[in-house]
Amino acid sequence: MILDRRRLLTTALSLGAMELFPGLSLAQARPLVFATFTGSWEEAHKAVLVPAFRKETGNAPIVLDPMLSVDQIAKVSAARANPPIDVMLHDPGPALTAQAQDLVEPYPVERSASFKDLIPDAQEATGPAAFFQVVGLTYNPDTVRTKPTSWADLWRPEYKGRVGITNMNSTLGTGFMVEIAKMHGGSEANIDPAFKAMEALKPNLSAVAANPGALATLFQQGQVDISPGNFNAIQILKAKGVPVEFVAPKEGAIAFKTAIQIVRNSPNRDLAFKLIEAAISEPVQTRLMQAPYLIVPTNAKVTMSGEIAQVLARDTDDLRRKFVFQDWKAINAQRAAWMERFNREIKL
Amino acid sequence: MRRRLPDVTVYDLRLASPLALFFAAFFAAPLAALLGLSLKGPDGTLGLAQYAAFLGDPFSLGVLGATLWLGLKVTLVCLILGYPLALVATRAGGRVRGLVILAVLTPLLTSVVIRTFAWIVILGRQGVVNGALASLGVSGPPLRLLYAEGGLVAALAQVQMPLMVLPLMTALARIDPSLWDASEALGAGRWRTFRRVTLPLSLPGLIAGSVLTFAAAISGFITQSLIGGGQMLFMPGYIYQQAIALQNWPFAAAMSVIFLVAVLAVIVAFNALGRLARGYAQT
Repeated sequence: MILDRRRLLTTALSLGAMELFPGLSLAQARPLVFATFTGSWEEAHKAVLVPAFRKETGNAPIVLDPMLSVDQIAKVSAARANPPIDVMLHDPGPALTAQAQDLVEPYPVERSASFKDLIPDAQEATGPAAFFQVVGLTYNPDTVRTKPTSWADLWRPEYKGRVGITNMNSTLGTGFMVEIAKMHGGSEANIDPAFKAMEALKPNLSAVAANPGALATLFQQGQVDISPGNFNAIQILKAKGVPVEFVAPKEGAIAFKTAIQIVRNSPNRDLAFKLIEAAISEPVQTRLMQAPYLIVPTNAKVTMSGEIAQVLARDTDDLRRKFVFQDWKAINAQRAAWMERFNREIKL
Repeated sequence: MRRRLPDVTVYDLRLASPLALFFAAFFAAPLAALLGLSLKGPDGTLGLAQYAAFLGDPFSLGVLGATLWLGLKVTLVCLILGYPLALVATRAGGRVRGLVILAVLTPLLTSVVIRTFAWIVILGRQGVVNGALASLGVSGPPLRLLYAEGGLVAALAQVQMPLMVLPLMTALARIDPSLWDASEALGAGRWRTFRRVTLPLSLPGLIAGSVLTFAAAISGFITQSLIGGGQMLFMPGYIYQQAIALQNWPFAAAMSVIFLVAVLAVIVAFNALGRLARGYAQT
């Protein structure tokens, strides 16, 4: 073959185009794209969920694309007809947003083998809750001598300049504010008492982190000693040798359902269903509950054991008794306004 | 009659068309889409409602002002620290110059995220600065450097410093050294030589460096959110919050357009200031 200038140019251009637009050449059959969360979630899903899915489907191609819930929604709503994601993972707030924007296929409950085994709070027809996230108090046991027992401990004068929180962009930050409102006579519909309480917390605040990840870093740097925190995020820090402990406050740890949803117009609907089936199945959830993942199961058939049984709940009944579930429909209705208010009022 | 030779100083415009097409598709078109989106009111009608909402709100204007002010402070710090460095590097001989260039370039090869994390370690409550103060016997509670504006300015200045020093060095290297000799031979002192010769001749580099540093500092989303934290709001974080967390795309688009215009205005002002200074220097 003679390589003349024209042919060389054509080849170079088409190679370049394929590099720029990989979708062009794979338009017919792209792998299943699962948008998980970053960090420990991605690790856990890569190690446990993906192998289970491969076994179930005879090695169907799957890609993990870790990103935040809000980014998933932005991407999918920007390309509704041809979404770049097949399965989304959402905290309760974004899950409702995705639903309200009509980005989600209803879950084929009647075909599902494991759906009925989920505890009632997890049985969502738009996408079952495949995991729970738990928010309680995290503290540095080297500097905080008496183990905290209540959200109210954050206000104690000995923690002046030692407390960290996140802003309301995150589920953690919003859920915490709602809990504080409830403690002071407010509710999901009335956040005023929480903002009033924040005024009193200001002398204690060392940092308002931009996101829960940044908050975790601050424990590593000794910038904060006590904060509301996510059970799983703390386990990673602990594994790295950072002195940090988790405790469920006596008011109850906040539980967030993490919904797993099929994206509307997904070209891989069937594979997406199989992935979610694997995620809510008993064997996968049992494995994810063990160290080092420590993800709280939503399948009632899973027997609680290990660290989770010790620190959080012995069984499903215990879990439902101890955990606080918030009404995210009411929260979502006002969340934008609350975030704006937080921008304006919480300045250090 | 002799055949006319092609003019080698003029190129066919068609040569530029691939780049023009690229810019049209990936720069002009998205910008137009952004502009279109920003005109969508909250009730779906076309109009300037989003702009009115931003410009009529003292809080939002405050965020814009704080962002531009932050950029100016970082630019000033970079200028004060960067100019002497660039001057030393250009006037010193081979080895020192090589060392300075290496020192300026090395941070550019490291990711902004990593450099920012390094600053968290330096500025933290148990960080290098507070640790040094404590070991010097300075008593009192540790200084609050992280999540404070001073720390943010320092971190941004370090991260963006190469953008200031490199154009300055280029401009300074272009000055003929015999001009300095001539100035001194004619009786001007060092300070006067700097003011009348070096500074005016380096103005193009100074303006280029300032514009680059300013633009990078105000849009430095990662450093702003990691060092500034969640309670200090600047335009990039504000736009991210509106667009991604709140899904309020029309408002975010309007904010982006306003931000863009404000930044362009500051850059035009930089250039005007440069022209003014040059005129002054030549009299």
